[in-house]
Amino acid sequence: MLALRAPCSRRPLNLLQLRKVHASVADSAPAVVPAQSSSSDATLPEKKAPKWTANSIRTGLIARKRGMTAIWNDQGVRVPVTILQLENCQVTANIKSVKRDKSMYHAVQVAASDRSPKSTTRQMLGHFRKAKVPPKRIVKEFPVTADAHVPVGTTLSAIHFVPGQFVDVVANSIGKGFQGGMKRWGFHGLAASHGVSISHRSSGSTGQHQDPGRVFPGKKMAGHMGNKRITTQNLPVVRVDTSLNLIFVKGTVPGVDDAHVLVSDAKKKMIALSNHNQAKGLYEKVLPKGVDDLPFPAGTAELAASLPAVIEAPSYRRSPFLPLE
Amino acid sequence: MFSSACRAPARFVSTNAQSSAAKASSALYPFSKTALIPPPMPGTLTPALQKGKGLMQHLHQNLFTAEKQAMMKQLFSRKSPTQLRVGSIVSVISDQAPTVFNGVLIAIRRRGPDSSIRVRNILNRTGIEMQLFPNSPHLKEIKVVRPPPKGGMKRAKLFYLRDSPEKMSMLAGGGKK
Repeated sequence: MLALRAPCSRRPLNLLQLRKVHASVADSAPAVVPAQSSSSDATLPEKKAPKWTANSIRTGLIARKRGMTAIWNDQGVRVPVTILQLENCQVTANIKSVKRDKSMYHAVQVAASDRSPKSTTRQMLGHFRKAKVPPKRIVKEFPVTADAHVPVGTTLSAIHFVPGQFVDVVANSIGKGFQGGMKRWGFHGLAASHGVSISHRSSGSTGQHQDPGRVFPGKKMAGHMGNKRITTQNLPVVRVDTSLNLIFVKGTVPGVDDAHVLVSDAKKKMIALSNHNQAKGLYEKVLPKGVDDLPFPAGTAELAASLPAVIEAPSYRRSPFLPLE
Repeated sequence: MFSSACRAPARFVSTNAQSSAAKASSALYPFSKTALIPPPMPGTLTPALQKGKGLMQHLHQNLFTAEKQAMMKQLFSRKSPTQLRVGSIVSVISDQAPTVFNGVLIAIRRRGPDSSIRVRNILNRTGIEMQLFPNSPHLKEIKVVRPPPKGGMKRAKLFYLRDSPEKMSMLAGGGKK
């Protein structure tokens, strides 16, 4: 049975909850649940490279938000872009575990941003040593389908995203500190004059009278604002530059410059739409316009070396500079 | 892993005549038949840039086409003798309407490729301000019709001209003494 580490005598061992990490080989066969020990054969016979299907969910990447600028697309339209850079983003584990309802949970654990071994804990040093990657600052996992596991140690590249597709970007928003109701919740405050004394920006009443006689939990009030996890969805990727591992996404991304962000295929405009259109038989709509295929299971540094350094998405709409008839 | 059927004929979607360097090429990039392959960015790549040190500055200097880079340097570099100065009268020639826009330069916003200028004029008794981006492929040329008054302007942004038409006409009509 799965016995990756010696069971701790203080904790009751629940074998079902032991997660199989550090799989030495990417198990790309979706039907096979690896119940054997981790000594599975690393040199499997000739296997066809996995191909993206409309029901696959690929891994995401960890990038750093570097800043914003603007580029002009082929129609001459200005596109404000946020620049995300990959900083030695590597796969550190493939997770396969059994959930409470006996189904499988698959995930790819990704780490980014090298750090000095001096400042890394011994536990994490061991984890990185097993994955044969240098120690990293941030380690996150992305849920995937069973066919989308990536070999441990693979260096991911900006080529993973295709210009023209949509991504979701997750990061911690900028912290605003302790803020009042007007900034935090959009309250309107009170009148600036007409007898209002001192409470121009206060929240006003917080409830009713003797019934209920209390303030409901969750009442919007002043408090700490910002510095929490925010997802910005459906951002188009306009350009990919593999020489510096840059992803240019249109629009804004939460967080400060140099913050770590998690970038993954858009849940609504990529994954949900592809599943839906595949089920309906609309095979042309499975991917966004202009996108023919996605690097699967992931866009690696080797793949980036074989492709052009800079790829840009053209605009697929009619030019806004042409007059409407 | 990738679609091996790359023999689909390349489709040229570029409607803009200037994007001659960027061609659709399915053979080079199998994931999108209509993707554009612009030339790689100029500038030397250092290991520090891979870590992000000085990346935005590098992009601010190199995220231009070859034709635009010289123009932006000449207009916006603080060391350039022909740099744009607020208070000058400029004439902006572009592909899109208005093809020629004259006016007083009231603001310069330096942001690398996103740098822009604000030009103000009064047409048909209406004050018109335009924010123009020289890095845009539509913008052809910025001509300085009259340099600013001797000694320059005492402000970096001349937004006060919005409230004083007499000072506007002094700049436009009087010029440097």
